[in-house]
Formats: sequence, structure tokens, C-alpha cells
Amino acid sequence: MSRTTVASEYSAEIQSTPIEHRFNPYSDNGGTVLGIAGKDFAVLAGDTRHVTGYNINSRYEPRVFDVGDNIVMTANGFAADGKALIDRFKNQIKWYKFNNGGKKLEMQSAARYIQQLLYGKRFFPYYVSTLIAGLDEEGRGAVYSYDPVGSYEREQCRAGGAAASLIMPFLDNQVNFKNQFIPGTDGKEKRPFEYLSLQEVIELVKDAFNSAAERHIHVGDGLEILIVTKDGVRTEYSPLKRD
Amino acid sequence: MSDPSSINGGAAVAMVGKDCVAIASDLRLGNQSLGVSNNFEKVFQFGDKTFLGLTGLASDVTTLSQVFRLKTNLYKLREERSIEPQTFANLVSSTLYEKRFGPYFIGPIVAGLDSKTDKPFICGFDLIGCIDFAKDFIVSGTASDQLYGMCESLYEPNLEPEDLFETISQALLNAVDRDALSGWGCVVYVITKDRVVKRVLRTRQD
Amino acid sequence: MDIIIGLTVKEGTIIATSKAATRGISILKDNDDKTRQLNSHNLIAYTGESGDTVQFAEYIQANIQLSTMRENEIELSPKAVASFVRNQLATSIRSRKPYQVNALIGGYDTKTQKPSLSWVDYLGTYVELPYGAHGYSAFYCTSLFDKHYRKDMTIDEGLKLLQMCVDELNRRMPIDFKGVYVKIVDAEGIRQIDFN
Repeated sequence: MSRTTVASEYSAEIQSTPIEHRFNPYSDNGGTVLGIAGKDFAVLAGDTRHVTGYNINSRYEPRVFDVGDNIVMTANGFAADGKALIDRFKNQIKWYKFNNGGKKLEMQSAARYIQQLLYGKRFFPYYVSTLIAGLDEEGRGAVYSYDPVGSYEREQCRAGGAAASLIMPFLDNQVNFKNQFIPGTDGKEKRPFEYLSLQEVIELVKDAFNSAAERHIHVGDGLEILIVTKDGVRTEYSPLKRD
Repeated sequence: MSDPSSINGGAAVAMVGKDCVAIASDLRLGNQSLGVSNNFEKVFQFGDKTFLGLTGLASDVTTLSQVFRLKTNLYKLREERSIEPQTFANLVSSTLYEKRFGPYFIGPIVAGLDSKTDKPFICGFDLIGCIDFAKDFIVSGTASDQLYGMCESLYEPNLEPEDLFETISQALLNAVDRDALSGWGCVVYVITKDRVVKRVLRTRQD
Repeated sequence: MDIIIGLTVKEGTIIATSKAATRGISILKDNDDKTRQLNSHNLIAYTGESGDTVQFAEYIQANIQLSTMRENEIELSPKAVASFVRNQLATSIRSRKPYQVNALIGGYDTKTQKPSLSWVDYLGTYVELPYGAHGYSAFYCTSLFDKHYRKDMTIDEGLKLLQMCVDELNRRMPIDFKGVYVKIVDAEGIRQIDFN
């Protein structure tokens, strides 16, 4: 059978080999997220731009959510999967309360449960980088980060999404003081780790996002920072470049 | 990965300061995942205050550094003076474009001071010679994403030479630590009106 | 994959190459010498596509010998030899049918009295190294070199380190490579030594 299709008025009549279609269940909706744990607080920030390819679908589409029990969560990458995962997790917290007399879900339990949700779809994964932030049982700030199939780790800070590769080395340097040494020690003595204040962290997050928005087309429009303290979750919004 | 520009790995960056420029690179040369050499400099000097950073396919890095050595030597014989950064940038551009349909797989960056005005000059290129003039900084190599993030956040205009050194070093160091194909040592050149200072940085060895 | 390893010590360069010549699942030969002498103080060891390897090495050998004759018995330095080899491979990689040859060039510079080892691959990548290897053997040997190599080692100490590498290769390599030929390049010239 001929493979060529001649464009003519009768083109519909010309037989050709069957065309194969393949549905691609994933897409990339851009955006970037960032979580930092402090001494007695944690922040989770994300930009509010939602894209497909070069199109901006929305300039304000929140991607970081308060899921209850003083935990904030984001699942950045393929937005539909992110939404599905967060909705599922919110729902599960609700059922946890029904079944356990309104008991609060602790951070580390939430972290382990999200692993189960992600690994449950091991062979058709949620295409997202997931981050949660909150306070641990001792009241210290905690950030957990995941790969798409549920491998997770508690960290001091983590960037995820489109501009993760731009932001992560900056965080290494400014949060964990990597490659910083005490002057006069000939590079022998590392600058010791110390917790940053909430104000410092927020400024750092803003710097990181302004830098990312400058160089990455999938990042911009707005920055929403969710701050978790023992008094609950608070949101701060500030604008980013819109070009 | 069979992408020629990321077989060997490597990163380079240049920055402008107050009456000074800095250019730096890592020292790694690898074969895919295997580290082969920790002494492969990617910054070359082609004039009194004209420097070229070359990342990408190591074979082409060597070839081009030799081509430019030849061309700048002939230039010096004809003109009886060493080449200016601006002039050299145009030489790089035209040399690369000659190979428009079979390019060298490299990411060159140029940094230097104009010998007459002492004005800082930096620029970068794509692999076929399109010049990217920049006022602030230029990055190149397999850690370019990381370098963009670092430079965009650490850089400020009009830094003094010592501060420029610290800024470019921290930018490069932290960037290459997040790239598996870069690192294994760094070298930094700070170029000022009356001297060029080269420093080799001690870095993580993984 | 064929084995070629090299290291420089205080007074010379040691090069080892496997004796087996394999094609597919067969070992065709157990006394294959994968080196060619270029001049009195330079030796090339090679691996890669069979056919290309010997053709290329002998082409290099012929040209280096020609240079020696033309220059009134003044021999090219290890750096000059390595640059020539690199240049040939860098030209070849952009030709219609590139040579698929990786090489180590062991040399001793009689002027500066310094040993040298040049690592060159088929792309034209060239670096001078204290020690190095091509192919899978690099994965097994570099870690041993990293730990035990000292740049002021004697030839005997170098051979001991080489023995560790060969033992490791014998232990870990899936096929028998039939042992190695070991050659030393030093002030005296090039010589082969007994090695098991």
C-alpha cells in the first residue's frame, strides 16, 4: 500500500497506511518551588505562574497549599498530577481524623504516608517533585522532599521544579554555608551552621525567586510564601517579573 | 549521553567589576562518568589582558586553543601589538562561523581589559559564533544552569577586585558542586589595570 | 575490552597491555603486543576497533621515524609526539571514516629528564597524566592508583602497583585477558620486562 498521500480534492479517498496515535498522559506546567526549615518555623514558597509550552495559562494559580494539621504541601511539575496528589492527601488527613478521634497527623507520619501515595503509582507515576513543610514533634522546622515515585528525605532546604538547578546551589551556599570558611583559617575551618531568622529566610526566598524569574521563562508573575509556625500557617504574597 | 558538548564536562564563568574583570573555570576532564584529569584548565591567555574560556568537547577545546594561539601570534607579528578583547571576540566569532555546518562543540567566553581605555569587556558565544554581549556576567558549560542561578543572585555591579574574586569564586564553586560533570578544582583569573592575578582554588574532590 | 594501563614513576614510564586479541566470543591470540615503538624514547599503546588500531599506530610510527630521519637523528619529545597523535585523531574524527583508536603514549624526555604519560582518545582528547588507562580497565585501576600512587615511586614500586592492578583485573574482568606485556620507557630507552 502506498505511503504517500496526494493533496487533492479527492484526498479523502486515497488510502494510506493506518496512522498510529499515541496519547501522552503527561505535560509540564512549569513553575518552581522552594522549602526552607528554620529553628522553629518552616517556609514553603512557589511562584504563581502556570504554563504549557510558551503559553501562560494563569498568572495567579496557587501551587503551595495548606493541607491542614499545620502542614503545607506542594507538588510541582505536571499540574494535574500535583492537584490529584494534594487532593488525595487532604482527603486522607480527613479520614485519619474521622478514624482517630480528630488526632493531629504528625509531620513524619505525613511524610511516610505521602511516600505510600507516590509509590502506589510506581508504574504510572505522579509527574511531580513534592515538598512538604511543617514542624516536627519537638517544634523544629522540617522540610521533606520527594522524587516522583516516593523516595524521600528530610532536609534543611530544597528547591524543586523548573528552576531547581538555578536555585539549589544558591541555597547550598546561603543556607548551609557550603564553600564558606572562616577568614584566616586557610580554608581549614568551615563556617559553622546556624539557623537563619524568619526575616532572613524570607529575604533569601525572594532573592532566589527574583533570580530564577530573571533567567527562567517558566518562572514569574507572583511569589507566594507559606510560613508555618506554632501559631499556624500564614501566607505572604509579593509580585515577580511578568515578562 | 552522546551529546558532544557534555561528554567531558566542565564549566566557565566571567564577570565584570569596577575597572576589573574576572574569568574562571573548573579543572575536570572526564569521559562520561569517569574522571580522567583534574588538571585540565579551560581558561587561556591570548593577549596582555585578553582571556578566553572554553568549555565543551575537550578535543575541540584543545584544537581551538591552538587555532587561536596561531591566529593571535600572527596578529601580533602583523600589528606589533597584542590583540584587544573586542577584536579577539570578533576573531572567535568569525572562526566559529567558518564551521557553520560542522561546528566545534564548544561554549567560548571572552574576558579582558581594553589596553587603551582599561574598560572591562566580557562576552559569550554559541557554538557557531553568535556573540552575546553582557554588562554583568557570562556563563558556559555543563553547569550553566547552576551558574546562572548563582551569578544572578550573588552578582552586583562595580565590585572591587578582591570582592569580585570572592563573588566569582563562590558562584563557580557552588555551581560545580551541583553538577556531576564539573568540579575537581577551579582556577580564577582577576584582571586589573596593572596586573593579572591567577589563583587555584581548593575544592571538593567528588 | 582490551587493557592498556600506564603510569609514570620517578625515573621512567611503565606501560602494560593485555596479550589477548579477541573478536566476538573468541580469543584469537594470546601473545598480541598492542604497542609500537615510535622512537628511542617514545612508545604508543593502543586499543579500539581492530584493523584501525594497527593501521593507525604504524602510520604514526612511520611518520615519527620519518621525522627522526629528516631531522638528522634528533628525536621528537614526548609532548611533540603526543601532539602529533592528537592532531591526527582530531582531524580524523571529522572525516568520513574516523579512526576508532584510543592510545597511551609513554615517553621519556631526554632533555628535561622527565618521564611522561599522554592519554589520548579517538576524539582527539589529550591530557598528560601521572597514571591512566583506557576502557573498562580504567574503572578498576584508577581507584587503586588514586590510593597507592606516589609521584616519587621507583620503577620497582611502580611495578608492584601495576601488579595490584593486574591482580584486580584478573579477579574482576569477565574474560581472561591472557596476562600483560609490560614495557618501561626511561633514560636508557625502551625495554620489555618479564611480568606475570
